[in-house]
Amino acid sequence: MPHAWIDGTPAELATAVATAARLLDASRQPLIAGLGTDVAGARAATALAQRVGAAIDHMHGDALLRDLDVMREAGVMLTTPSEARVRADTLLLVGPGLIEAWSELPRDLLGARGGEASAGADRRTFWLCPPKSRLGNDNHAGSTYPISVIDREARDLPVLLAALRARVNSRPAARSLVPAAALDGLAEALKAARFGVAAWSAAELDGLTIEMLCGLVNDLNATTRFSGMPLAPGDNAIGVLQACGWMTGFPVRTGFGRGYPDHDPWRYRAARLVESGETDCVLWISAYRAAVPEWSSDPPTIALAPAGSKFAKSPRVHIAVGVPGRDHDGVEHHAMIGTLTAVAATHQSEAIPVADVIASIAAHLAGGPSSC
Amino acid sequence: MLTRIKGGRIIDPANGHDGIGDIWMRDDRIVEAPPAATADTTYDATGKIVMAGAIDIHSHIAGWSVNTARLLLPEFRLGSAARPGSTPLSNAGWAAFEIGCLYAAMGFTTVVEPAVSPHYALHAHLELADVPIIDKATLAVLGNDDFLLGLMRARESAAVVRDYVAWTLAATRSLGIKVINAGGAAAFKENVREFSFDDVVPSYGVSSREIVRTLQHAVNELGVPHPLHVHCNNLGIAGSADSALATIAAADGLPLHLAHLQFYGYGKEGGRGFSSAAARLAEAVNAAQSVTIDVGQVMFGQTVTVSLDVLRQFKARNQARPRKWVILDGDANGAGIVPYNYRSADFYNAVQWAVGMELFLLIDDPWRVFFTTDHPNGAPFTVYPEILALLMSRDLRAQWIAKLPAEAMTVTTLPSISREYSLVEIATMTRAAPARLLGLPDRGHLGAGAIADVAVYEDESDRARMFRSAALVFKHGELVVRDGTPTRHIFGRALMVEPERDRAIDRRLKAYYDERWGISHDLIKVPDHAIGRPEPFELVSCTQ
Repeated sequence: MPHAWIDGTPAELATAVATAARLLDASRQPLIAGLGTDVAGARAATALAQRVGAAIDHMHGDALLRDLDVMREAGVMLTTPSEARVRADTLLLVGPGLIEAWSELPRDLLGARGGEASAGADRRTFWLCPPKSRLGNDNHAGSTYPISVIDREARDLPVLLAALRARVNSRPAARSLVPAAALDGLAEALKAARFGVAAWSAAELDGLTIEMLCGLVNDLNATTRFSGMPLAPGDNAIGVLQACGWMTGFPVRTGFGRGYPDHDPWRYRAARLVESGETDCVLWISAYRAAVPEWSSDPPTIALAPAGSKFAKSPRVHIAVGVPGRDHDGVEHHAMIGTLTAVAATHQSEAIPVADVIASIAAHLAGGPSSC
Repeated sequence: MLTRIKGGRIIDPANGHDGIGDIWMRDDRIVEAPPAATADTTYDATGKIVMAGAIDIHSHIAGWSVNTARLLLPEFRLGSAARPGSTPLSNAGWAAFEIGCLYAAMGFTTVVEPAVSPHYALHAHLELADVPIIDKATLAVLGNDDFLLGLMRARESAAVVRDYVAWTLAATRSLGIKVINAGGAAAFKENVREFSFDDVVPSYGVSSREIVRTLQHAVNELGVPHPLHVHCNNLGIAGSADSALATIAAADGLPLHLAHLQFYGYGKEGGRGFSSAAARLAEAVNAAQSVTIDVGQVMFGQTVTVSLDVLRQFKARNQARPRKWVILDGDANGAGIVPYNYRSADFYNAVQWAVGMELFLLIDDPWRVFFTTDHPNGAPFTVYPEILALLMSRDLRAQWIAKLPAEAMTVTTLPSISREYSLVEIATMTRAAPARLLGLPDRGHLGAGAIADVAVYEDESDRARMFRSAALVFKHGELVVRDGTPTRHIFGRALMVEPERDRAIDRRLKAYYDERWGISHDLIKVPDHAIGRPEPFELVSCTQ
């Protein structure tokens, strides 16, 4: 089984690594994208970006930056899924895509109460704009408790949340899309929570909707306790964000072309850099699964991705990498406790970690290996 | 490899030494002057000051909260290079790499990150591993966690608590234990908004006092060198001195460290009901021989407050400047990140500045008062040189006082204090005493056998300039800084203790994590291999 290909043809790993280094050396504006990798891979990629003057972005950069923009524009109250699991007596689920974003949501949150359930035995769950098909006839979705739904389209969420926030603050809501009694009932239920948690996925909500929801959570804390729980995008997006943060001071969508980290969410968005033709070489990283870029053009690409990834056009260089936590040990964001954890390999193999491939490429760059 | 630092004024209070002489280093250790030997390298320190590498016992330099502050405030770092001096935090180390370089440039060689929630320990250690040159350590935070409070509610034995504390230290690879607003974060989850030393966490029926006492005894009985590190209740509010005084009284003759005492140095006197209570606190500290404190000095300018005291940060969020903040209801402790601008024209901020100075100057024993700004909460650590200069010169303080609101200066004793720190006292406070407090016998001094962490300064009358930019710094015997510029980026280790425990606690915690959290307790452990650098940890001995 080959580990490397050049223009679709099996190649020696060393040749592929050297070719990748030549492409990066020759590039005038490299881009490191995808970034589906463990923390070691993210650290290596960030150091490489600094070295070659690349921009870095994650495949879930849009969702990451939407949550982040609300935080850095307005402020947020947050909790972890694990704390929500043991403490929440009220859950406010927002949007139809939550189970898509976190497939264990029904089992690990809706269906579970850990510990002694100090918040009381009965949990009340509300779902604004739930998925059409997944709840089932009995409105349970795996929940131990029935779920009250406000069954509207996802596009109605901005108006619904604004109206709900108004009613929570005892202000009139002229336009609410649902009967006043239903809205007031929900507002009263949220205010009656002892420890409520609102969950959303930035993959499907726009920034202003998230800001409205976070504002609602903040307002509820005037009299009771309520917190927010953004669902983490996949492919270790949060782990990559954290590593990028401590290494550069910035999140992804940061460029190093000026010789120092420069964060610009518009300029360094991977899809824009590719489609505008500004980048002339892409290092695509997807170690967890065979995700491929969804861009309308194909700049010369070095792919660190599983064997069998189906690219629209063969990458110039493709090196097969291991899956963190399967082929090799790694560190990644844990969806339940909401922070970085070490994961041991379940099926230790010869497949190479992203960090090691990048170290090899860096050693072949003009100027040789770096000390970092 | 034999290295000689020749002819400097050696200030080494741990060994009672202050005089002209040579320091000899063989590889990574300081050695006696070898008879008739020739050094491989000699550095001339004539006219310079030679001290051990400085040790910072309390500086928030890594972990989820610190990193969230970075992500919250990208504007503090616009254009990382070539920033104008007036950019907020323009001289504060922000990325992990810069933190190590900036500390080393000032002659610091060991820094403690004092607030690591156990579930976030791996994150903190990964960040610390990317901080170059200096050695590091973490304090693990207990006292708002369900497991401990559950043990206390059930009146379980002190031995079980000790085993749990020992397990936490081992799992999180920490050097000591801290408690932050003991019980306050747990109570806040039950919508408690005011929480003092004798208040009770509702679901558990245990008071803040009982939590502090329980952890103080456990840490002491385990032989962990660093005493329990306490962040008291009611931080930052008028009258908070009462909380600190109650905690000092509760030390009861056993070792106890109170963090950033400045933030508790407030009384309710004066026309605005806000005054310095530093003199009262200093008197209590002077009398309580088992108590140590660090100051948490405020300096004027933009900063960001980063704290696991979620109740306090929640209440402070509307004072955020810029107006944004992050509040976390975490698995045990919470966290809050609230940017703040200390203004010299502001009455309250001026009182805060004065309180910190008073504590430094009114606590007699430099072995029991430690030098911190609670970075970045009072000020970024990059202002340390300015603070050292203020402590060493009453004239400089008078110049500052003259520019501050006169009303603020009427509610503090600072203008009447004439004490000036000597270089020996500075070396005691920043070297000898921290090493003793943390239980690091081979650091903080320049005697034979010590780790060769050495800082050499020009003896300048401008003390701020002198301490900002060390002439030479050696880390483990290697030259890492010359004329204030890092020259070599080696990576240090994280210091940790691992006291003995009955392994029954491991089985109990396994079952507890499975049941309550639905995750394996193994996820909390920080394994060597996850850090990504060789030998990332160094074991420090316990006393029993």
